[in-house]
Amino acid sequence: MPGLLEGVKVIDFTHYFAGPYCTKLLATLGAEVIKIERPGSGDPIRAIPPFASQRQPGESGAWFLYLNTSKKSVTLDLKTEKGRDLALKLVAEADIVVENFAPGVMGRLGLDYEALSGVNPALVMTSISNYGQTGPYRDWKADEINLYATGGLMNITGEPEEPPLKEGAPLSQLGAGQNAFVATMTALFHAEDTEEGQHIDLAIAEYATNVLENALMQYSYSGVEFTRVGNRGYGRAAWGIYPCQDGFVGIIAGPDQNWPEVSNIMDSEELADPRFASRQGRLLNADEVDALMLPWLLEHDKVDIFKAGQDHGLGFSFVAGMQDILEMEQLVARDYFVELDHPIAGNYRYPGPPISPDSGKFEAWVYRRAPLLAEHNLAVLGDLGYDSQGVEQLFAEGVI
Amino acid sequence: MSAAQPLKNFRILDLSRIWAGPYCTKLLADMGAEVIKMESLRVYDSHRGPITPAPGIAAYPDSDPGEEAWNRNGWFNCLHMSKYGITLELTEEKGRRVFEELVSISDVVVENFRQGSLSRLGYDYETLRQIRPDLIYASMPAFGNSGPWQNYVAYGIGQEQLSGMAHMTGYANDGPMKSGINHGDPITGSHAAGVLLAALRYRRRTGKGMFVDVSQQESAVALIGGEVVAYQISGEEPERMGNHSPWFAPQNAYPCAGEDRWVTIGVTNDTQWRSLAEAIGQPELADDPRFATNQDRLQHRRELDQILGAWAADKDMWDATHQLQEKNVPAGPVLRGPDLLDNPHYTDRGTFNYVDHPRTGPKWYQGFAWRMSKTPGQVHWPSPTLGQHNRQIYRELLGIRDESIDDLESGGVIGTKPTGSRII
Repeated sequence: MPGLLEGVKVIDFTHYFAGPYCTKLLATLGAEVIKIERPGSGDPIRAIPPFASQRQPGESGAWFLYLNTSKKSVTLDLKTEKGRDLALKLVAEADIVVENFAPGVMGRLGLDYEALSGVNPALVMTSISNYGQTGPYRDWKADEINLYATGGLMNITGEPEEPPLKEGAPLSQLGAGQNAFVATMTALFHAEDTEEGQHIDLAIAEYATNVLENALMQYSYSGVEFTRVGNRGYGRAAWGIYPCQDGFVGIIAGPDQNWPEVSNIMDSEELADPRFASRQGRLLNADEVDALMLPWLLEHDKVDIFKAGQDHGLGFSFVAGMQDILEMEQLVARDYFVELDHPIAGNYRYPGPPISPDSGKFEAWVYRRAPLLAEHNLAVLGDLGYDSQGVEQLFAEGVI
Repeated sequence: MSAAQPLKNFRILDLSRIWAGPYCTKLLADMGAEVIKMESLRVYDSHRGPITPAPGIAAYPDSDPGEEAWNRNGWFNCLHMSKYGITLELTEEKGRRVFEELVSISDVVVENFRQGSLSRLGYDYETLRQIRPDLIYASMPAFGNSGPWQNYVAYGIGQEQLSGMAHMTGYANDGPMKSGINHGDPITGSHAAGVLLAALRYRRRTGKGMFVDVSQQESAVALIGGEVVAYQISGEEPERMGNHSPWFAPQNAYPCAGEDRWVTIGVTNDTQWRSLAEAIGQPELADDPRFATNQDRLQHRRELDQILGAWAADKDMWDATHQLQEKNVPAGPVLRGPDLLDNPHYTDRGTFNYVDHPRTGPKWYQGFAWRMSKTPGQVHWPSPTLGQHNRQIYRELLGIRDESIDDLESGGVIGTKPTGSRII
């Protein structure tokens, strides 16, 4: 059985990060995902470096390769009459459409939910956008940094005396793409139960508010605002990122009953001081606790510290770089990486399934390399009844 | 219950705690799944806080833990709306019989204990499958259910580090930085929710359940996987660059008038750059060769920061944002808690939910993660107090007689008063 979602068909009008991560999850779980790209240049994320091939950068950008595994690529100029008709024909046969254009763009192309549900009433259409399909900021322009800011995450990341900080990876967009996958699966159940499709409106800024953890709640509960606390856990001490001999480690000084282990691990009787025994006590004496831990930390390597903590029941961690991740014994032991060969980019190890369902009989996830631009034009248009001459004609007309 | 609920036919027995698991089941409960949250009176969900917390903790209404503090903690109450709350001791023989009955009528069991904890109680997947042959069992320990680190534990803060996220987050020329949240948790929760739905759909077609092995760490690495591929291509570790983007410029946060008020700018192309020059009243910048292309702007980002910093310094962050958005320049203020609740866009969209909880009064919470045109989410009831739905679930769902429920209660197998806690 090739993939959990075998038989599900998705027409994918997405680009950059948020939409493509949603459809990557669908495609790699076995759905047939047909990615519609702009003739000539394709998904603009094809222009994001680094590139494995300097001669063909558009086929070999790291993020493009990663976010588009297992999809098919078809080029269509949606602004042409024929391009739109072809899109509608594809949608008529599909279960799901995912798009992340700015609100209104699909409407101007004649491909909004009304038009699509006209040809396919059971269709699930998932729209991902910066601020959603409604509301006063609907047409605001935004990139990751702006969404992180207006979603409330930025204000609570970073040092109190330094600027608010975004995360290094585009996590608002990728996270929104994850949630769009859950939303799409939910609507698919409803569509299969009732033959009633629907339109999903997912706002990336709202994704950020949805994972605010307790910043919003706390203000509503007590009027006390969350603030930036740097690398210390909020309201905690000996809880955060610390330097060590060869990098950085995560020290987690809880639960309270495990704290005495820290003084054993770090061979420091002073750390066993009863003043530090409770979370509250450590917080009141945070600087002192840090000063007692630091000399030991600076004399030890990150992986050794991590394991020393873990072996004593403490959830220590360490700051892993990309090389650390590729070499991580746990990931290697679990066969996590998937090796994919690409005719232009070459052979790389891709992070594998985020979750591993195991039926024992089949591959739940199906990994195929990302498609070349327009690679599946002939096959997909062939299914719509075009022969190679017809496809050539469409190409000559600039439709594909 | 007015609107149709797309997941109404699914029952999820939820043994998960803290955030990753509860975020998974919250997404499903919001969409109508029947989620039964099961806790132990000895080790309830640590997000409920200690039995007798120190005064002054801001997670309680007016920073006052009050009576039954475990029912008044916002950390817990923001994650369990519309879930049933029951308690059950699996170390008691009577509790085990009840648990097995619950499993037999559940579609999904979710747990994020330390690896092997449930097996040690005699409940691994194979055992539970004897009780419910088509069960979907999601086990979510930190590092998955195999490999040399399977017994290790980690929290969301650790997953940010072990996945590479913290490595690439931080101020330029400075160390790695944690996010303001424990970002590993919702990433795993969301991945798990989606895959559980895919597994349920597969079961519907084939009749087969399955074991779903969740490594929270693998889930977090998968989200930023493009960087893992990028490293193999370039041989360079991602750089910590504060609020700069590796790909586009100008991008940064600039201080505005007022205390700790900031506007962010996130230009991604030449058109937006030219509009920006115009919007800030310096159209000559559009023709400045230092900034002509994105490559040029990336090279001269410090100069751009000086220009934009000087422009923003005396402006209100909202005025600055509007001035830029009018010209279609990506911009936005850094919003704080009160700003979010008072925001016209979020108010208009109903982004946040105002939910009345019997022990805290009405409070604001995170809302639904998306809008659905035909089957919108609903808050059916506030987060349950400890053991709130014991009677309802045990009587109505399992058909246990009142006297037997009384027995369970007097025997300490179920209850509403905690006997212990284990708080991280």
